[in-house]
Amino acid sequence: MNPVTREERHWFLRRVAQGLYEYMGAASPPVPVEGLLQHPPDPYREDFGVVDMYSALWDATFARPPDGRGSVFVRIDLGPSERRFALARELLSALITSRYGRALGLVQLLMADLRDSAEYFARCLLVPEPLLQAFRRRGGKATELAEAFGIPAEAARLRWEESPA
Amino acid sequence: MSMQALNRLVARSIVDPSVLQAFGAGHIGQVLGELDFSPEMRLNLTAIESESWTDFAIQAYRLVKAAEKPAVRIELPSPLEGLRGEAEQKRTGFGQVA
Repeated sequence: MNPVTREERHWFLRRVAQGLYEYMGAASPPVPVEGLLQHPPDPYREDFGVVDMYSALWDATFARPPDGRGSVFVRIDLGPSERRFALARELLSALITSRYGRALGLVQLLMADLRDSAEYFARCLLVPEPLLQAFRRRGGKATELAEAFGIPAEAARLRWEESPA
Repeated sequence: MSMQALNRLVARSIVDPSVLQAFGAGHIGQVLGELDFSPEMRLNLTAIESESWTDFAIQAYRLVKAAEKPAVRIELPSPLEGLRGEAEQKRTGFGQVA
């Protein structure tokens, strides 16, 4: 694959988030990312899920045995906003490594900058552009975004800055 | 409109396998025909040679973005301004002599 700029990669990630958001049909925040992992769109069905863990080094991590069903392993003691963000972030790995994701070519495009891609994707998925625009139109402020969308404060700050008013 | 159409197409491809199937079968032109692309853009997009769907999407993004970029306006000063400045200088010069 030809070299891709960060801006191009981010454009593509916004489209991935858009596709999933439209599939979920969430009319208001918070976006039900856990429901999406448990009941994914058809091309990913039987391909990934969520497993709660009592102790782990990380907040969440995705693992897929060779040719098997992958799962996001998430620490059970996370607060709701941290859990939502961690699941959304790991969802990208689930998509990339799924059969359908590999057929799309997600590995070649996104694997090299996985951390940046996963965090950017999570912010876009949890604060979808249409809901963010509606929030702004109603006079919502940057400081209120985290609570309104149920995401960590730092992720909210970045999302607010990344999206033009 | 082309960028919105491309956004919709790529977003749809994430959850709808029919897009990837059409692409794999070399029939992406049919899918593009359902969307709001100009005939010229549709031809350009259909002609993209790519090794995967994501490769196609990125190349399509470059094409559409380049086509939507507003024409760069080169703003040269009016030739009249130079003449005005010269006339102004002359007037000032005359004033000082007087």
